[in-house]
Amino acid sequence: MSILTSTVHDQEAPTIEEQWRRLSIRVIWVDLAQAVLSLAPGVIAIWIVGVTPSVGNLWPLALIAFLGLVGAIGDALRWLFTTYRLTDTEVQRRTGVFVRRSRAVRRDRIRSVDAHAKLRHRLVGLRVVAIGAGQQTSAGEAAFTLDALTRSDAESLRDELLGAEHVVVPADGTDQADPVAGVEPFARFRPWWVIYNMFTIWAYLTAAGLLWVAFWLTSTFGINLVSFIGDTASDQGLGLGATIAIIAIGAGALGVIGLGVNFFTANWNFELARVHSDNGTFLRTRRGLFSTREVNRDESRMRGLTIDEPLLWRWMGMADTNLITTGLGLWSAEQPTALVPRGPISVARHVAVRVFGEPCPLTIALPPHPPAALRRRLWWATGITFGAISLLAWPLWTGIVPLWTLWIALTLWSLLVVCAVVAYRALGHAINGDYVVTRSGLLSRSTSALRRDAVSTIAVRQSILQRRLGLSTVSVMTAAGWGIYEAPDVDAHEAFRFAAQAAPGLLDPFIEPRR
Amino acid sequence: MTRADTTRQENHNGVLTGTDAVATEASQTVAPRLPMLRIERRAVWWWMLRAGVRWGALLVALVVTAVLWEASRPWLIAPIVAVGVVLLAKLLVEPWWRYRVHRWEVTDDATYATNGWLVVEWRVAPTSRIQTVDAVRGPFEQLLGLSTLRVTTASSYGSIDINGLDHRTAQEAVTRLSAVAELTPGDAT
Repeated sequence: MSILTSTVHDQEAPTIEEQWRRLSIRVIWVDLAQAVLSLAPGVIAIWIVGVTPSVGNLWPLALIAFLGLVGAIGDALRWLFTTYRLTDTEVQRRTGVFVRRSRAVRRDRIRSVDAHAKLRHRLVGLRVVAIGAGQQTSAGEAAFTLDALTRSDAESLRDELLGAEHVVVPADGTDQADPVAGVEPFARFRPWWVIYNMFTIWAYLTAAGLLWVAFWLTSTFGINLVSFIGDTASDQGLGLGATIAIIAIGAGALGVIGLGVNFFTANWNFELARVHSDNGTFLRTRRGLFSTREVNRDESRMRGLTIDEPLLWRWMGMADTNLITTGLGLWSAEQPTALVPRGPISVARHVAVRVFGEPCPLTIALPPHPPAALRRRLWWATGITFGAISLLAWPLWTGIVPLWTLWIALTLWSLLVVCAVVAYRALGHAINGDYVVTRSGLLSRSTSALRRDAVSTIAVRQSILQRRLGLSTVSVMTAAGWGIYEAPDVDAHEAFRFAAQAAPGLLDPFIEPRR
Repeated sequence: MTRADTTRQENHNGVLTGTDAVATEASQTVAPRLPMLRIERRAVWWWMLRAGVRWGALLVALVVTAVLWEASRPWLIAPIVAVGVVLLAKLLVEPWWRYRVHRWEVTDDATYATNGWLVVEWRVAPTSRIQTVDAVRGPFEQLLGLSTLRVTTASSYGSIDINGLDHRTAQEAVTRLSAVAELTPGDAT
């Protein structure tokens, strides 16, 4: 720490901008409030409800109080030891109580500046700022976070790093400025999107979580939910079957409602907009009711878009829209790459058109793949079924496994045939302007448009069955998004032409006209 | 030729709206040419050793289970036959087949390789996107004086592995590729 500071001060007097700054003092207020609140449940249980103190019933409350106090004190210490500053070329942060850590990020490597706030931050006007510099997406973390700054400080920091929002008319008077106003909204929150976010398999998981919390809290106050349910299920009550049915339906309903509420709190005031600033354009998402989140994604880092349509919900036109970009985590629960919440396909297409402009590579009609691609899928469906049967052949022969399992195998086969047709109909590929478009997928049909100049490695693959059917699979690899985008079962004669066009110039020395 | 004609017709029907310019620019069918260099003959032994150790171990485990645990025998017959067939194919067919398919070439602009046997793959990675170049040597490769040239790009899927090179050849390729790749400006994403 001292070394760094001294080298800085040896240079000529630092400007105000280059001085080390502290996080907001309001962080301490939040810590104090957290400490008080974490003691509250115990106090209420003992003094107001009048629970007799014992190790058995008070340990959860003691744990809450302990964790809350330790967290608050630790956070206050962190505030004391954390400073940051901006220089002309870098953003630097020093932190850590026992282990001092300094981190510097070059400003020209910064790809995103995000602000989010939990409820406790919002109540006192704080924002947590996360600065992303395009590190490996697998690392799943921002280059660093500043937890937390006042709202105005966070906004001015963002403006300093990404450029101010308004359009600046150049000093020499030439009219280079974009005529469009600084902020160009693409999509806004629509309450009925909630329908698309309520009915998923996660409903039961949400319900399980809610029920667990309920059980945990009530047990502290001396009520045992499990024995209550056990009593209900016993002979005097409703009976086992009815109880299970009620729990399943009740839990499902609870989960669906939970997901709906979650959708509203997470996406309230959602807005997707293109923001023109001095340093380029950004796709900005803002959302959240209690905790808010703002993500700015540098458009020059954008490599394309993906629209996913889950099979089971295709009849209602459900779609996820994700950005293909470098430096944003794909596995993050906050889904920084999701441009709009899960919603109707029409919104996804509309956003794609606004992002790409016309002609939009995600809305063109893709010609169907050769019928041989369907035949390949049918062969696989049949092959898998017969493979399963042949594994059971000996047990069937000797009678260890009853014969009716063959009927299961036949049902499996017909199901797989349907899947083969669905998967075949999902196939598509095209070259459209600067983009290579691929579409495939059974359970989730995903259509991707990837910038051709972002393609790095390119591969063409052909199995024996594919060679007999005259098909090839073309894969384009890139640093952004999932890293690989495939066009399965392209006509073998066309595959290398498509590959050559997908990565302009790369394949030219290695291909020759077919004789 | 007929293939090219149908494609052009589709364009006029408007199926491929907006792609006409690109599609007609290269509507001729193209085929890949083979990479210039073959790999070492010794690689055949390497594939045999590897298959023998991996699938051989699995087969031995299955057979031992079947011998010691009588009740499992009806269930293990099909897997034992299957693994046995795979082992034979991997020992007698795969190495020679792979030796015919695997070829490679490194130019200043790109690395080009073909590999596989049941599934054949052509793979091209541009030098400008290379992030690391390594010569990797496993225990069997060291035994045979072989080396694998591994070229990785910023995409986690985009790496090219060229098996069965003489370790000196691989080292030369590493030196050359690293030198060329460092000259290319940009952050390779």
